[in-house]
Amino acid sequence: MKEGKWKRRLTTLIGGAIVGALSFGVWPEMWKTYGIMGGFLTATFVIGISWYMNHWLGVIDNPEGTLWVDQGLPIFGAGVAWGIVRFWPLDPAADGLAYCLGALAKIWPTLVCCVVGGALAGVAAHFAKKVVPAWRDDEKK
Amino acid sequence: MVEFLSTYSETWGMTPASVIASVFGAFAATFAVLICWPKLVKDFGAAGGILSAAFLIGTFWLLNHKLPGFGINPDQIKDASGHVQQFGLVNQAFRGSCPWVDMGSAIFCGFWVHCLMGAKRGTRRVLVMESLPRIFWALLGGVIGGVLTGLVGFSGAKLFN
Repeated sequence: MKEGKWKRRLTTLIGGAIVGALSFGVWPEMWKTYGIMGGFLTATFVIGISWYMNHWLGVIDNPEGTLWVDQGLPIFGAGVAWGIVRFWPLDPAADGLAYCLGALAKIWPTLVCCVVGGALAGVAAHFAKKVVPAWRDDEKK
Repeated sequence: MVEFLSTYSETWGMTPASVIASVFGAFAATFAVLICWPKLVKDFGAAGGILSAAFLIGTFWLLNHKLPGFGINPDQIKDASGHVQQFGLVNQAFRGSCPWVDMGSAIFCGFWVHCLMGAKRGTRRVLVMESLPRIFWALLGGVIGGVLTGLVGFSGAKLFN
């Protein structure tokens, strides 16, 4: 077992929790106050600083030569969890497990669309990087 | 054609037009991030990453996720039907009455698939197995952050009324 493995897992967990909390604590409020410019500013501040923390400094564990785990994943998880918990008090009589499962059952159509679109883009970018001049010349070096 | 594309499906929670728009929105954001972000970071270092966050995520947030109804001109300009319509490409299903699905899911998937495509044959299975625990811990972290942020709805603090 690699040294410090659980510590790396803990930092991955903490990095995910912070980027998720920032995105869904700050983004809706900024959007509701400043509209489009609020969302744009939030992208700069929240994604900018959490990218710096998670990926530039490396709080989310991404060893060299492995499959990249992007901070989009914790943001997605946080969006779903936040959506479930935040609006639960609107329906206080709701049964816990059934409420959560019902909410999860509703998100799959959009999630499938996002996953399909994202995976297609991943494949397309793989081939694009072989022909796009800046990337192609980079590969040759 | 118009009728088929704009028929709301109770099973999916959206119209066929929304499905097409959502897939394209996810594709566009992910492709742009995959191509531009690493290059900008290579050219400008950490500042390139913050620049990417502003320009890529900021712009694609507007394309994919902006909902009308708040801000400087909250009502927008009504379109020909007399209504204000959602113009975010990634449709939030069931007319928004379900948890938020972020384009982050698409960007994560894109990066993961992209790295998998770039890997040498024969090493892919090992790489996938290696990434699973990291995916689990990152996702668990996100869920914890989302739950804790969502708890403010339980605080019962009713302001301004």
